[in-house]
Amino acid sequence: MGLIGYAGPYIPVEMISAAGYQPYSLLHGDYELMQEGTHYVRIDACPLVRANIAYVIRKRTEFAACIGAVGCDMSRRMFDIIHQYTGIPVYILHVPRTDNRQIFDDEIDWLIDELVHLSGKDFREELPGEIRRWNAVRERWRQLELQRAAYPSLLSTRAFHEAVRHYHKGNPELEMNIPENPSSKKPRVYLVGSELSYESADLLRSMEENLCIVGDSIYGLSRFLNVSIKTPDLDGLKTAYYDQPPCIYRRSNRKYYDHIIREIQKRQCQGLMGFTLDYCDAYEFELKHIEDTVGLPVLRLRTDYSFQKMSQLKTRLAAFGEMLC
Amino acid sequence: MLNNLLPGKITLREWSEHFKDIDDETIRRYRYYDNDTWGHYLQPPATFLVYGARELKRLKFDNSLSSLRMWGFVFNESERLFRARQAGKKVVATMGDLGIVPVVVMAFPECVPFYPECIWWTPFFNESNVLLDQASELGSPEAACFSRAALAAFYKKAYFPEPDIIFGSSGATCDDFSGVMQLLEHIGNEIIWLEVPHRPLQKRHGSSSVTEKTSAGFEYPKRFIEYLIKEYRKVWIHMSRLTGVKDEALLRDSIRKTNQLRSLVRRIKQLWSQADIAPFPAMEMMTIEFGNLYGYGDIDEWLEILRMIHDTIKNRVEKHTGVLPESAIPIAWVSPAADPYLLNFVEDVGLRVVITEYVINQALVEIAEDREPFEALANSFMHASLIGSTSQRIQSIKEAVRAKKIKGVLITNVLGGSHCAMETRQIEQALDEVPVLSLDVPPPFGITEQIRTRIEAFSEILRG
Repeated sequence: MGLIGYAGPYIPVEMISAAGYQPYSLLHGDYELMQEGTHYVRIDACPLVRANIAYVIRKRTEFAACIGAVGCDMSRRMFDIIHQYTGIPVYILHVPRTDNRQIFDDEIDWLIDELVHLSGKDFREELPGEIRRWNAVRERWRQLELQRAAYPSLLSTRAFHEAVRHYHKGNPELEMNIPENPSSKKPRVYLVGSELSYESADLLRSMEENLCIVGDSIYGLSRFLNVSIKTPDLDGLKTAYYDQPPCIYRRSNRKYYDHIIREIQKRQCQGLMGFTLDYCDAYEFELKHIEDTVGLPVLRLRTDYSFQKMSQLKTRLAAFGEMLC
Repeated sequence: MLNNLLPGKITLREWSEHFKDIDDETIRRYRYYDNDTWGHYLQPPATFLVYGARELKRLKFDNSLSSLRMWGFVFNESERLFRARQAGKKVVATMGDLGIVPVVVMAFPECVPFYPECIWWTPFFNESNVLLDQASELGSPEAACFSRAALAAFYKKAYFPEPDIIFGSSGATCDDFSGVMQLLEHIGNEIIWLEVPHRPLQKRHGSSSVTEKTSAGFEYPKRFIEYLIKEYRKVWIHMSRLTGVKDEALLRDSIRKTNQLRSLVRRIKQLWSQADIAPFPAMEMMTIEFGNLYGYGDIDEWLEILRMIHDTIKNRVEKHTGVLPESAIPIAWVSPAADPYLLNFVEDVGLRVVITEYVINQALVEIAEDREPFEALANSFMHASLIGSTSQRIQSIKEAVRAKKIKGVLITNVLGGSHCAMETRQIEQALDEVPVLSLDVPPPFGITEQIRTRIEAFSEILRG
């Protein structure tokens, strides 16, 4: 079974899976890959995009196709570059930035046609089974996530991140292997911002030395749990994916703020961390508004996934932790 | 008299000297909004230096009356917008799509469209970081497109009046300006959002994938046109509510007039690029090209200015004269430079711009007049530079390289600009048959000796 690389929370893994492929979320942030990526794009391109381009080009034989979305500009352009250097078929979904359900529905219909063409099989009848399967998987993780949100928190975000890698890599039934976690009494914070990569464990460990992340709206962490398909059919799938809490780049993005404010209150957070990757406009432009809106102390963290600024980062995290105590 | 001058580029001081020779009748002849009381705009460029455009003292301008008229009109825009408000016209901000929404707006009598993002040149003309610093205070990151100046301009309320209505296009657009527009909403501006589709490169299969082509041969899914039609109808409905006007025949008139403009600019560009000697400077040509976005808010007057420029250029071509030496080396310019000084400087070191790709393809093509007007507008938008792939964007430059019409390519970037970051390497690699120089345009005051040396070295390479 080949991989289909995808990016963003609006690509239905159920469809990829029903077509007979392994949905593999492009979430690479390895330093070497980022460097390699500068052969294809400038250094001021998003680090995640740089690393993913290099990863797919390196592993081109493992990928049957890639699926992207019109969301962030760099991510959209990433797929053209991947296609140019690998010849792998790429499909870019026009996920509307404005509130426009019709476009999303039409694009999902189109993607089905493309996947049928790619796989050579009409998988529509298998879709309900795959929807039930992935729904069950998400429900397992949702139960696990409740431990993280508990008061006091019973699960570290680093451990959660480790576990959900299986979901993002398309092996959702693999054993979770969650280590024993003593309950945490550290200040409770909510995490928003750019994507976290597969290699972000150390970054999360540093964050959690002084803080306890009890919720997030991050792609690469728990963002996928927002998808809950009520009826196991195509309409149910479209509704669930479209109606999930919107990305910050939705115009207008008021609903995004409504969502995080609700979550912050529900999870009894004392602070918020705004994590941005270098040159991630979607979040960089919003940090001040986040600070003005959430009504909590906010720590801005900016990184390119490398560890060059780790000492400075740790000091700032420690100071933020002390401030919240 | 100006008529006796040999074509050339002159300084601000020289323009002030020549301006003395212009008679009152000529000065009174040119007026915006056809208003004889306060609509006169023919002034020596030094006037705008006094108003704050301090970079003008470093620039050189074409020495024709048509060029003087153009600069007077262009630098007068801020005043013009405030006058429009005073005179009871509706001022409409159209952001993000660069070329189509104003065609709808201009269909409505007494409505003046403008693109707030075009204020990105102001920090450079003014040699001032005021707008950029203010944008940072309002939340814009520093490594972002200079179009962030628009955010500060809205906030300061001194560069244009508060618009009667604001349209903002998002979707397959650059992230920087999309971020700016969202911040504008956060600081209290109500924006009517419009969706901009992308133009996929890959072949599509299946029944849901019926495609159409633009006149340039770019393929796109037909249903994307239907989405755009809905968006442009939304603009129409909002404008109708604002003005009380409902006659859709006016849109056909607006398209016709827009086509007059686009066709004229196409002819000007053709004359300009095919002439043996550069008949007009690159900085003026960039200003002409960007006028296609909305006729700088008074399309009738802008058309008259362009007709005059066309005659100037035609005359120079016929007389085999121009503003640069015949030996100037032809190059292509990709992405517009926020700092106009760069366009001056490349000419000073012996280069001549003959082809441009300023990310506004959608504003350069003519709109079909034999189609349903909203559909024609949508089809026209599908030519857009930034909604498709890089290879499509630089197609014409690639053809020029193959035809040996240009000897080099200069790309101007903005550090952190989303499409610059992603496209520049691709452009460099796709055009590797000729030398390519890629520059990051620094903020105001940032043109260093290093940048000058790089451009000089580029020129030397092309000469070699």
